[in-house]
Amino acid sequence: MSLSPIAIALLGVAILLGIGFYGLLVARNLIKLIVVLQILAKAAMLAFLAAGSAQEQMGLAQSMVVTVIVADTVVAVIALALAVQVKRRYGTLDVRKLTNLRG
Amino acid sequence: MALHPFLWLILIPVLASPVVYLAGRLAGAAMARWLAFLTLAVTGAPFALAAQDLAANGAATFTLGLVKLKFDGLSLLLAALALGLGACVTLFSNAYMRGEAGEEKYYAALLAMIGVIVGLGCANDLFNLWIWFEAMAVASYMLVAFYRDQPASLEAGVKYLVQSAVGSVLVMLGIAAVFGATGQLSLQSIAVAAQASATQASAVGLLAAGALMTVGFGVKAALVPLHTWLPDAHSQAPSGISAMLSGVVIEAGLIALLRAVAPLLGEGDAGARFGQLLLLFAALNMILGNLLALKQTQVKRMLAFSSLSHVGYMLLGFGVAAYTGQAAAAQGGVFHMLSHGLMKGLAFLAAGALLYTLYVANGAHGPLTVSDLNGAARRYPLAALALGIAVLGLAGLPPLVGFMSKWQIFVGGFQAGDTLAALLVIFAALNSVLSLTYYAPLVNAMYRRQTSDAVRRGRAMPLTMVIPLVVMSILVVALGMWPALVEGLTGPASLALVAGK
Amino acid sequence: MAATFITLTIGLPWLGALVVWVAGDQRPRAQHALAVVFAVAGGLSGLALLTTTSSAVAIRLPVGGAFGDFTFVADGLGVFLAVVATVIGSLAVIFSVEYMKGEAQLGRYYAFVLLFIGAMAGLALTGSLLLLFFFWEVTALTSYALISFHNDDPKAVAGGIKALIITQLGGVGLLAGALLIYAHLGSYEISAFLAGADALPADLRAIIAFGFLIAAAAKSAQAPFHTWLPDAMEAPTPVSALIHAATMVNAGVYLLARFFPAFEAVPGWTTAVALVGVVTALLAACMAIVANDLKRVLAYSTVSQLGYMVFAIGCGSALASQFHLFSHAVFKALLFLGAGAVIHAIGTRDMQQMGGLGKHMPLVRVVFVIGAGALAGIPPLNGFWSKELVLEEGLAHGPLWGYIGMLIGAGLTAFYTARMVWLVFYGEPRGHYHTHDARPAMAVPLVLLAAGTLTTWLLFGPFSALLAGAVPGLHEESTLAFVSKVVTDPATLLALAVVALGLLAWQQRSRLSGIAAGLRALGQAAAQGFGFEAVNRFVARITQSAATALQRTQTGELNWNAAGIAGALIIVLIILAGGGIR
Repeated sequence: MSLSPIAIALLGVAILLGIGFYGLLVARNLIKLIVVLQILAKAAMLAFLAAGSAQEQMGLAQSMVVTVIVADTVVAVIALALAVQVKRRYGTLDVRKLTNLRG
Repeated sequence: MALHPFLWLILIPVLASPVVYLAGRLAGAAMARWLAFLTLAVTGAPFALAAQDLAANGAATFTLGLVKLKFDGLSLLLAALALGLGACVTLFSNAYMRGEAGEEKYYAALLAMIGVIVGLGCANDLFNLWIWFEAMAVASYMLVAFYRDQPASLEAGVKYLVQSAVGSVLVMLGIAAVFGATGQLSLQSIAVAAQASATQASAVGLLAAGALMTVGFGVKAALVPLHTWLPDAHSQAPSGISAMLSGVVIEAGLIALLRAVAPLLGEGDAGARFGQLLLLFAALNMILGNLLALKQTQVKRMLAFSSLSHVGYMLLGFGVAAYTGQAAAAQGGVFHMLSHGLMKGLAFLAAGALLYTLYVANGAHGPLTVSDLNGAARRYPLAALALGIAVLGLAGLPPLVGFMSKWQIFVGGFQAGDTLAALLVIFAALNSVLSLTYYAPLVNAMYRRQTSDAVRRGRAMPLTMVIPLVVMSILVVALGMWPALVEGLTGPASLALVAGK
Repeated sequence: MAATFITLTIGLPWLGALVVWVAGDQRPRAQHALAVVFAVAGGLSGLALLTTTSSAVAIRLPVGGAFGDFTFVADGLGVFLAVVATVIGSLAVIFSVEYMKGEAQLGRYYAFVLLFIGAMAGLALTGSLLLLFFFWEVTALTSYALISFHNDDPKAVAGGIKALIITQLGGVGLLAGALLIYAHLGSYEISAFLAGADALPADLRAIIAFGFLIAAAAKSAQAPFHTWLPDAMEAPTPVSALIHAATMVNAGVYLLARFFPAFEAVPGWTTAVALVGVVTALLAACMAIVANDLKRVLAYSTVSQLGYMVFAIGCGSALASQFHLFSHAVFKALLFLGAGAVIHAIGTRDMQQMGGLGKHMPLVRVVFVIGAGALAGIPPLNGFWSKELVLEEGLAHGPLWGYIGMLIGAGLTAFYTARMVWLVFYGEPRGHYHTHDARPAMAVPLVLLAAGTLTTWLLFGPFSALLAGAVPGLHEESTLAFVSKVVTDPATLLALAVVALGLLAWQQRSRLSGIAAGLRALGQAAAQGFGFEAVNRFVARITQSAATALQRTQTGELNWNAAGIAGALIIVLIILAGGGIR
């Protein structure tokens, strides 16, 4: 079974998305959720590269992915900083305990 | 090097942001406060120039490497909203945030957010759109979770961040799909390619892209059921930020959604189906926003849910325009973006002013409840009047601007000549009546003679808080009596939007 | 000239609202004085408009786009209502000087009263459907604010919100109609619509006609939307006089009168209008018979008399309807202000605790009896003449069941009027009170209105001339001709007999106790509002339950929220793909 590179990439995207959405549903630990966000972001980046490859514009795609990595890192940093604060104030990283705001 | 005025609208706040931070660290917080306000006041000049240029010469563009910007009517409107509301908020925050830890970070982040929102309005290709969108999100994460030692605030910030990040990923996937299907990223080229698209694969790709971007941007625009972060974030953020979030950020998300998806629609009935989708969201937003606002006892949370329903009105306008191919309702939607930004901003600032005098100035951090408002008008007549004007305007009562913007949407809905659109307009009108059931008691409570304990303990209201309230209240009434005043903003904006379809 | 007076009639009260509010609650004397000055100025300007009526557009302000032109027209029908609003408004403001003495938040009170007066004038004088709806909504806003003026009284707040919601719901009918008209004709001009109504497809015209009927019924507290008016009695009495006698409720009747030429051809519309009038008149009269709160009796009686006006339109006579509106505005304002004097002196609204007041308040008794006589339809008071006209039009052009119903209504009206007068002013005192007669600030409007009640019917000639220019098919008729017609018509004798019967029934009530016992069930139903209150409560309840049920969607659980985004994505994909892939 030989798949084109693009097809493999798309398969990878699907797998990563699957892991990601599953993780969103079941992950309890805040850090795990942040990791899941990263996985999802990688899926998107992979999709980007696949698209770039399909359109023969790898240069553009690569520069964009690099930008996305930077942006995503910033988000991850902020998220982790918030996680640290959550641990300090709530004493736990279990998102199921973060349900004071409801209704 | 003469930069076009509109670029200064982005550069001034963004460049001032680190300057304000440093000034705050080195020269004291007062420097940061006033510098921030000054920065935004100064943008008035390039704004006027940009507006004149737009009217005279049409849209202006700017390209630098990967950065592609185009300043059209919609950009002007978003800039007006962001800069205007931003100026009011920075003045308001002068007293509100005084003495808070990290005050200079607040102003820096606020300025940065305002600058990137203007940039978002000017984005001319999908990737640019995503970058400015992401920058806006990042700035807002820091602002929502500003009260880092308040557990509720942290919780709101975390939930907002996670959901918003998921939305961003979906947008990115959508962009990838568009790129893969058409090889283009610039909005105009995508529109051309979408119409020409022949192969099945590219059609599927565009469809997937449309869905991904609708949902992805929809998280930020608070489409139901993607909205669950909103009540928490908007109520826990500092009041000036609540005003910005409800007044500008949601609108920016909606604008991003429309800008991104419009080129994909091409000819045929894809536009109609997209319109139907927007109309479905409109109905959901309106009813859910209103019913849940009814049950709230905290003022800021009530206002947050009300924002959901107002996004519903905007979606009604845009949905009708997409569904029937007629542009009149889109101008209503745009006008409602402006008027909602003004009224909801005023509401949050007025509520925030009361929250400040009743709680923050006393060192407490409690939520402002409806019962706290009892008799507020006795001690704080201007703030109570401002909140009353804002809230009754949101309900669509004349002679306030909410009446006029809703009218324009409703007219568009009927002019389309479509029964579904007309029925949804009636549904929207009924929803406005429903919203009175939670707005009116607020007003009644404030004008009681018996004051609540909170009001009795309240401190004096600083002038820097009163001034934005007065200015915005006057605007709400003036525009409500003479809506032609904003025709110059809403007309070109809706034309720009429709041109993309 | 007309343009100036229009601007003054609407603008002076609105300017006054701002000025009084700015004057500040620390200067109540200034506030009272300013309010009176601006209200009276508005009234004078309204009267001046009588000299310059014309159907031409007097003011045109182009706004453009979806808003059309803001136009104002001073034709007979509009000017009449504007005069009623501003003149009676002025009297109510003068009355307020004494009634509201020492009250707090006067700035808010007078500001909303003046805003209201200006809005009613605007509603009557505008030629644009958009502005009609605009002013319609402003009157709803101001009446809500005034009903719930005493914010610390939960009954007042509830009454205000109820009034707001019900009239707003009705307003959706007006909104839908106005939007349909604009969508089809491209213009908001009322005159354009009236001229071109036949060009609209029949089903659209029907929707507009019934939409406007719903709005009018809600605003004028007609069945089934009448439940808000009695609860609105929590307002300060001058406000009740203003809203319930003179103005806001007339807006609905005005709407029907104005648009009648366009809708009369719609099948079933005139019958529906007549039906609404008859049912309301009878229902409200029954409720007035069993009510013990003095203001409530007057409120129900207003609803009932409005039923007469609506019925008259259903029979095709705008003249009869507006003439009765004229009489009613005067004598109902008189009755409300008189009741206000009583309540102010005694401190209670419960008639069961009154009695024998005539000895202590002779002036009030005299004017009140005059007003009550007009309400019952006793000649030669103005109420007699206008009610006769309505009945005669009903007999000549309306359905027979309608005429009979209205005739019975006249008898019931006489009955509850006699009951009211007797319980308050005659018999033995049932409560302990120290009273005084009305002070000058209250007495002057009372006397003026009583004089009006005795004489306004003489203006029939000029009145019909005023309206003839505005309402197609309406013919001018001199007072003399009208009077001789009524006096010689046998139907008049029939009506007088029924009225006498009603009065007699009260006088002989002890002998009729058997019948009263038999009607007890009806009386209890009437006290419960004939089930309409239950409907209101039901609607409120299901809204609350829906909201509570929905609250469970805001779970606060991040996992579900985030996964919900994925779920939404799938649904959106399905919807977008729904019509097949391009």
